[in-house]
Amino acid sequence: MRAEQLIVSGVLVGTLVLQAARPQRRMLIVTLGAGLAALTTSVAGLGTAADLLADVPWDVLVILAALGLLTQVFVASRLFGVLAAAAARRSQADPRRVLLLFALIMFVVSGLANNLTALLLVLPVLLTLLKLLSVDQRYLTWTLGVLLVACNLGGAASPIGDFPAILLLGRGSMTFDAYVLNALPPATAALGLILAVTLLVVRPARALDDDPVGRRVSVAVMDALHRAVRLDRGLFAWPAIALAVMLVAWVVAPRESGLTPELIAWLGVGAALVAAPALGERLIRSRIDVEAALFLLSLFVMVAAVRRTGVFDDVAAGLARLPVPPVVQLVVFLLMAGLLTGLFSAGPSMAALLDVAESLATRLPPHAVYVGLALSVCAGSSLFLTAATAGPMAQALTERAGLRDGQGAPLRFGFFEFIPVGLMSFGVIQAVGIAWALAAVSMG
Amino acid sequence: MTAGRLARLDQAFRVAAGELGHCTAAWLFVREVAAEAGDEGVEALRDGLGRAYPVLDTVARRWLEGARAPHVRPEGVVAACVGAARVLVVGLEAAHLDALVPLLAPSTRIGLVLQGTLDADWERVLANWGGRVEGTDVAGFQRWAGARSVLVTFAYGVAGGVAHVQPAWVRVSGPDVRAQFRALIAWDVLRAPMFVYPRWLVSVPAEDFSHVAGH
Repeated sequence: MRAEQLIVSGVLVGTLVLQAARPQRRMLIVTLGAGLAALTTSVAGLGTAADLLADVPWDVLVILAALGLLTQVFVASRLFGVLAAAAARRSQADPRRVLLLFALIMFVVSGLANNLTALLLVLPVLLTLLKLLSVDQRYLTWTLGVLLVACNLGGAASPIGDFPAILLLGRGSMTFDAYVLNALPPATAALGLILAVTLLVVRPARALDDDPVGRRVSVAVMDALHRAVRLDRGLFAWPAIALAVMLVAWVVAPRESGLTPELIAWLGVGAALVAAPALGERLIRSRIDVEAALFLLSLFVMVAAVRRTGVFDDVAAGLARLPVPPVVQLVVFLLMAGLLTGLFSAGPSMAALLDVAESLATRLPPHAVYVGLALSVCAGSSLFLTAATAGPMAQALTERAGLRDGQGAPLRFGFFEFIPVGLMSFGVIQAVGIAWALAAVSMG
Repeated sequence: MTAGRLARLDQAFRVAAGELGHCTAAWLFVREVAAEAGDEGVEALRDGLGRAYPVLDTVARRWLEGARAPHVRPEGVVAACVGAARVLVVGLEAAHLDALVPLLAPSTRIGLVLQGTLDADWERVLANWGGRVEGTDVAGFQRWAGARSVLVTFAYGVAGGVAHVQPAWVRVSGPDVRAQFRALIAWDVLRAPMFVYPRWLVSVPAEDFSHVAGH
């Protein structure tokens, strides 16, 4: 390895380790890391900061910002609160149904909207219901854990659900419809397996008393709390139509027409915001997730710097030189992607590994490699509570809710409580991802 | 009623009382427990949680005496609010506010002081009135003052010159407040004396109010 390769890779890995170890200083660490990476490539003559910025996939950032704004319009229409309240009613306060319904809702919502925002609005309703039911630690852990995993899987099931899939769409690695056709079935299968294992084998509700009075009171209270909370149809209708049109355009508009995915998102969300101009102006001024955009921008700069040193080419070549068939190389790559994501989270892993994936995709069916990678990243995101942004947020909301069990003991949802859910989910999603990729390879 | 069930109902009542008000929550609990476990269940509920929640104790007692629904008669409050440009509500009783809000003139601004002794998701509380009721904090309540402004709070029994009200009332009421609002209304939502210590509530002189409604 050359000196510049060692230094820039060291900056990238060091930055990722530091931001994972000190999440409260995450933004400072990654922005400084990006600056250091740019300095190194400049000094080594591999490219200036301007060159690195030119390598940034701005289309991905545009799609993320646009979809984030669309989610905020749905928030203003009270969509997520209404959905959560409906799920609470439909569950009839049966703990198994609560787990199932909320997981399914989060899976679907995460495929279409920013899962962090959706979770922020759905989780308080669920926590209220869990408080009314006085659930125990085991049930709380598995319900919230499976909910987070369902969010991750929903994000991986759709090309607009989460950053890794958006990156594949934005870079043109896969078309919208090809991604849906190839990623939705395995993601749904993985969710089905996880729910089956949880409800039939783990049975987190088995120690809860079947208390008809408690259930009846819980349903009545949930009804009373949401007695007149209604969807604002005026605010909901136009953005919903805009989203539907965007989905159609992503499927039918050929890339060569110039109607690229980011332009469709840009225009579609713009049209949705124009329908409620005052709200739209306020959202654009105050609700674009600058922190997420800056974090990803810094990652892209660092990855661009590493790319310019040729490290990714060397890793891809090293993988190709492994004395095993290409499908085994693919399995090694997917396992590595899952574990790296567990340690460093989805954004950094996906940004760094996509270059290697592109090399593999020249020797294997591209959809097998990319969907396998997206699912492996999803598996890694589900391994630890800290691997996905939604995890620490769920932890904070749960702490704030001050839940107690039937004996009055406080309930927790933290890193260690999540581990059994994470290990099971990682195993299932990673296995489904690898199996799906191998099946896709065998079918060509 | 088992200790486990009581502990669960205790936690559930705190959630309900925080976002619905003690009186509304108490009627809901008594009705649902009675539907599942009959009057015996209501008695057990009163024995188990009555000391902790005096409004629940009183409502359970009234249920056992034959009452089957809360007394929600907003007419007196509406009459006192005629011509008001602003009505600011201190304290929360969802059933009573649900009845009052549609009866106030559309041109009247309605505010709710977002202050309670139990946790509440105030966004959800306000969403039930579809934007008709605005939230305000204690510090901002004076922005609602004026010659055409009315202050309303809920009382839990008014007798012997004393009214039991929610603690938030004490934070907004003072010698100078009487002059800043056209009327100060106590809406008696319980209409019965409490037999246990009025925890969660404070006692104030009934003469602090220009109107006592609900009787």
